[in-house]
Amino acid sequence: MSRAAQHLQEAADWLTRLQRPEVDETDWLAFDAWLSEPGAQEAYDAIQAVDEEIFQRGSAIRGELSEPRRVAAKRTFSIDWRWLGGLGAAAAAAALAITVAPWGELLPQPDTLYTTAKGESRTLQLADGSRVDLNTDSHISVRLEKDARRVTVHEGQALFDVAHDGARPFLITAGDETVRVVGTRFDVRRRDGQLSVTVLRGLVEVSTDGEDTPIRLRPGQMLEHLEGASGVSVRAVAAEDQVGWRSGRLVYRDQPLGRIVSDMNHYFERPIRLEGENTATLRFSGVLIVDGQDAMLRRLTSLMPISATPTDDAIVLRGRPSASN
Amino acid sequence: MLLSLYEEKRANLVRFFAARLNSRAEAEDLVQDLYLRLTAMEPDATVENPSALLHRIGSNLMLDRLRSQKRSGARDHDWREANTIVLAGHEVADEPTADQVVEARQRLRALVEAVDDLPEKTRHAFQLHKLEGLSHAETARRMGISTSTVEKHISAALKALTRRLR
Repeated sequence: MSRAAQHLQEAADWLTRLQRPEVDETDWLAFDAWLSEPGAQEAYDAIQAVDEEIFQRGSAIRGELSEPRRVAAKRTFSIDWRWLGGLGAAAAAAALAITVAPWGELLPQPDTLYTTAKGESRTLQLADGSRVDLNTDSHISVRLEKDARRVTVHEGQALFDVAHDGARPFLITAGDETVRVVGTRFDVRRRDGQLSVTVLRGLVEVSTDGEDTPIRLRPGQMLEHLEGASGVSVRAVAAEDQVGWRSGRLVYRDQPLGRIVSDMNHYFERPIRLEGENTATLRFSGVLIVDGQDAMLRRLTSLMPISATPTDDAIVLRGRPSASN
Repeated sequence: MLLSLYEEKRANLVRFFAARLNSRAEAEDLVQDLYLRLTAMEPDATVENPSALLHRIGSNLMLDRLRSQKRSGARDHDWREANTIVLAGHEVADEPTADQVVEARQRLRALVEAVDDLPEKTRHAFQLHKLEGLSHAETARRMGISTSTVEKHISAALKALTRRLR
């Protein structure tokens, strides 16, 4: 080993020793003595600077390393990403670690599919510095290219915090909508053929297939759209409510029970069914903490004129007679 | 006498606490606090081992610092950085230049590649300790190896990364 390499090794050993939980004055005295050797200070300073950088950028490095495509790199399995939209939850979950290489050699980066199971949520740190919080039962794929960053929301809900990059727009496709952003924070939801985009910060542009002009959304605005239908609606919302799911809260303001049940069914395996003519359209305002299915239903039945009856394979909600009066 | 020893040991104290705090800037701060402590002490107090005393006072200050809110979670640096850039894109005047953004991204890529190229076990130990934040002992348990072997892996990783990245 060269002298310089020797110093570097000793410096790395010292830094590692100093990071033990128990370090006492003996360590300090020996460390101080070692630093008087020629070349020791420079070597130590170089090691320490790199260690500090790793500490500071730890989450970004971790995010990059944990990308499933690295795990899956050895597999020789590829599927056409355009088919993913039709995958069921189980199939998509099984596809977690599959590398999706759409057009062979033409593209520098493969699509990476990220998925969460029912009741699961996860945070993705993308290579460009953007962050994505993925809600329960959601499937998105990501491709970072030279001139654009592309994300497809196949199903579910995700909160994006996009790192600013003027040269590489961040494009999100959800059904027949494309969301274009430069650097901002917003929530995209695609469930049961309904799309919604809610902006928390910055400016977001949404184009819908068949519509000429894109719609610009500002913070506090939510755009809603029925897939395949023409037209969109934009309204003012309490944007933080829309992302309450990140802290395990579902916030509703005058929403139909059908929507709440649909949300809950993405968290728990045991389906909740609605019976009775007007049950689905009963309105609810309030905050539901996402914990256990039974506990959530108990709170819901105490807040609304409904009753819950377990059956063999589901839980049935019905309007209580008093509700129809 | 303590003050003159402080002057002599100042740089090495910063090096020592930089390892403990994962931050040279914080270590500089701490060693500055240490100086203030010393000036407030009896000038003619007799001290058996003055260098050890510097270490002891510094360590106490470090524990105070770790307990208090002074330490603003350096781990979240990247996250905050990304946020700042986002904000900068819209409202804040001192937006980082495109060059800076590109440079930061290239540096991150270089770091990731260097980590990726580490030998498998070294990489695993490095990941658990440096990226997941497990202690040497927890990393050892997780990998089923001894703590001293974990330290050898970590040390080897630091050396390899420094040679490649500096």
